[in-house]
Formats: sequence, structure tokens, C-alpha cells
Amino acid sequence: MTAPLMLDIKNLGKRFPARAGREPPPWIIQDMSFSVGAGELLTIVGPSGAGKSTLLNIIAQIETASAGEIVFDGERITGADQRALHPGLNRRIGYVTQDDNLLPWRTTIDNVLFPLEVQGTLDAAARVRAQELIDAVGLSGFERYYPHELSGGMRKRAALIRTLVYDPPMILMDEPFAAVDAQTRTQLQEDLLRLWSLKRKTIIFVTHDITEAIALGDRALVLTRRPAHIAADHPIPIPRPRNVKDIFTMPGFASIYERIRADVQ
Amino acid sequence: MRWRVWFDRLIVLVILLAAWQGGSLWLGNYWLSSPWAVATRFVASLFNGELAFHGGYTINEALAGCVIGGVPAVLLPFLLRRQPIVVAILDPFMVGGYGAPKLAFAPLFILWFGIGIESKIALVAAVVFFIVYFSTLSGVRALEPKLVQMAQMIGANERQVGRHIVFPGAVPAIFAGFRIAVPYAIGGAVIAELISSNRGLGYLVQTGAMNFDTTQVFVAILAATIIVHAFIAVIDVGERFLLRWRPRGAALIVDHGT
Repeated sequence: MTAPLMLDIKNLGKRFPARAGREPPPWIIQDMSFSVGAGELLTIVGPSGAGKSTLLNIIAQIETASAGEIVFDGERITGADQRALHPGLNRRIGYVTQDDNLLPWRTTIDNVLFPLEVQGTLDAAARVRAQELIDAVGLSGFERYYPHELSGGMRKRAALIRTLVYDPPMILMDEPFAAVDAQTRTQLQEDLLRLWSLKRKTIIFVTHDITEAIALGDRALVLTRRPAHIAADHPIPIPRPRNVKDIFTMPGFASIYERIRADVQ
Repeated sequence: MRWRVWFDRLIVLVILLAAWQGGSLWLGNYWLSSPWAVATRFVASLFNGELAFHGGYTINEALAGCVIGGVPAVLLPFLLRRQPIVVAILDPFMVGGYGAPKLAFAPLFILWFGIGIESKIALVAAVVFFIVYFSTLSGVRALEPKLVQMAQMIGANERQVGRHIVFPGAVPAIFAGFRIAVPYAIGGAVIAELISSNRGLGYLVQTGAMNFDTTQVFVAILAATIIVHAFIAVIDVGERFLLRWRPRGAALIVDHGT
């Protein structure tokens, strides 16, 4: 890898603390090591319940790690003490969760501007940037709508650009498009790739959908069932820009798909 | 659909009035005043300023009591949000205050605060406080942890989480609390006036009963009921504006809550 490392994870382990008088619970993540280069779009595929969300929560500094080390941009950020965690690492790690988590009492535009408001960086230029993002994902005209008035796909878009608007160098995405229909999902994937190609963020995108992992990723990691660790690391040799809709017709898709599927099982 | 509801309401009203009129004819005007007598007296009292005088007094008591009791009841759960131990310590006392028959305190309040408006306000405040406190507390506790986590991820501090996540999330519960509290506030004011006062709707009830004038008693009760309706209508307007972010269906359920 030529790009400098953005995230380096070494021998990461996670288990929840034992309750009094019981055996310690099994490891959820054990001896997991991988690294992500700056500007890389890494996808992580794994079966449901493999600990994918837990992994992202640990990187996001929401959950503690039980073993191992995480280095972010040259800085050791592993936390074993819940109170010492800094969720989002001072706005340097964005997190797009499975639920959109839009604030129901805020309109689309106010949800998108929320991080800037909280961070005290809301000025005219920021508003222009937010409007550009809204236009880029086709939410123009819906700025004054409340979340319950938007479709599932629109809410996902709003949640995505709410994270992009404050420009964190790394973004974690936890099956963000899992709950929408296939057609909308393809559009959302295209939106994501377009936005990513404009500003090469480092993205870790977790999914259980092998096709999605191939369509989006520079590289796909395969997680095993509990305790989760890396079963395989596949570079995706499909050139960009990619046509997400017809990704399965691209040369090389079938063979990489087969190899990942074999690893998942 | 809407005119149908109003039409059916009219039918219910006619049936209620007919039953009342029948009862009045059967028992005699002396024991149970007739709807017609109440209506004419009501209009007469409205125009000679008697209702405005007494009703206004009761409204002032209820409003002042709602503010004095309601504002701390709303603020306290927010201030104690990060102090679960303090909330736990206070809990049995709050439940006690909520459960104690506050109307029974009316004679004490009159003893302490005199027979003027202060004792009535004190009673209303005591009634409103506990209802709104528990409602607000439940709203603060029904906090969506995922939204808090999202806010923390983007760098929100504790104060910002309170202002942008906890408070807006609790607004529906605060409204629900005041909706429940309003009839008790008017009721508390009227009862306190009943015991000792020379003004207010409770005073009208008291003098009416002493003079065996059931018409006057009913006029005062009718006025108090209309005031409760008006208060709730004002709350409705405020709620519709402040909670316009909610899906329609959810708002309707609360609309029928009272």
C-alpha cells in the first residue's frame, strides 16, 4: 500500500465484562488485525451477528476494547476505560449508523446543519456547502420537510450528508443502506461513490451484502463468525468509476464474488 | 367526517340536556335547576359582568398557580438528569406529594397565606407541580440513547445534548402533563374559594348553595368547565405549533388523551 496509514488495528479483542459469579462471556472479537490507508474505501463483509457493529463502535470510541491496539493517524486511541473514551475522536471520525438517527424535530436542512451548529462552525460558507450536498443527493425541495415526511431512502441520504458536511477525515458506515429496497440501495451506493470520488475520505463500510462490498470497496475484508477475526483480505480489481447497477457484468466480478462467498461460509 | 363528528356531538349534547331537563321537571326546580334557567342566568351574569369578575379571579389563580408550580416542575427533571441518585432519593417524597390529597391542604394554606388570592395560588401550584413533574420526568427518561450517541459522535457536549436532544424529546411529555394538570388547577382554585373567599367561581358555588340557588351553582360549574376547555384549547394550539414535527397519527392519540 502506497497511501499513508489512516487506521492500524493490531490484535484487537473484545469481550463484555463478566458478571459476578459467572464465567466470563466469550470473545466477540479476537486477535483482529488490519489497516486502512488514507483515502481508501474498505468494505467489511460478514454474517449477521459477527461483531461488525461492535468493531465499528470500538473504532468510533463508543465502546471500549478488551485487548490489542488501535492507531488512528499515528495516534494510539485504544481505550479500555469507558469514561476516558472520546466518542467520534473530536469530530475526526464520522459514523453513519444503520438507523438514520435524524432528529425528528428538525427539518432536513436543520438536521444536516446540526453538526455545524453544535461545533460552532455554522456560517454562510457552511450553509452553501450544506446546500451543495443536499443538491448532490437530490434532496433539493425537501429542505423544510421533517424526517417523518421523507422516504426511507431520503432519510438515509440526509443522514449520510449530515456526516459529510463537517468533513471528518474518516467515516464509518454500518450497513447504512440495509433497510431500503434494492433499487433505492443502488442509487444510494452510486451517490456515495460519487461523493467519495469528489473528496477521498477514508471509509470503512460494513455490510452483509457481498455484491455491495464488491461494488463499493477498494478492498473487502471478510469476517468470520464469533469470535470475529479477519478470514480474508481481497483487493477488488474492478476499475473506477464503477457502474453500480451493472457491477455483476464487470470482468472479474464473478471470480471475486465466488471467493468472498467461499470465505464467508 | 368532520361535520359528522360535530353533528353527533350535538346529538349527545341534546340528549344530556333532555335528561337534565327531565330530572329538573321530576325533582322540581328547587332541587335541580333546569338547563333553560341556567342558560338564561349564565347569559345574564355574562352581561352584567358578574362572571367576568368571578371567573377572571379564578383564572388568575389558576394561571399563577400553573406558572409557580409548573415552571419548577419542568426544570427539576432536567437539572437532575445527571443526578440519578438525587432523583432516587427524592422519589418517595415526590410520590408522596403526588399521592397526598392536596385539596385537604386547602385549610392549611388558608391558615398560612390568608383568605386572599395567595392561598388559592399555593394550592393550585401544589397540585400542578407534582403532575407536571412526573410527566416531565417520564419524558426525560424516555430519551433515545441512539440520538445521544449520534450527538456525542459529532462533538456535542453535555449541555448541547440537553438542549438539542433531551429537551425537544421531552416536550410532548411536558404538554401531556399540563393537559392533565389544567382541570386540577381550575378545580383546586374553585375548591379553595369554596372554603374561604369572597370572590371567584367557588364563592359563587358557595353562596348559591347557601341560598338554595342551584341555578347559580350550575352557572359557576358551567363557567369553570368552559374555562378548562379554553385552557386546553390554548394548550392544543401551542402543541400543534411546537410539535408540528410529529407524524399526524401520533398527535391525534394525544388529542383524545383528555
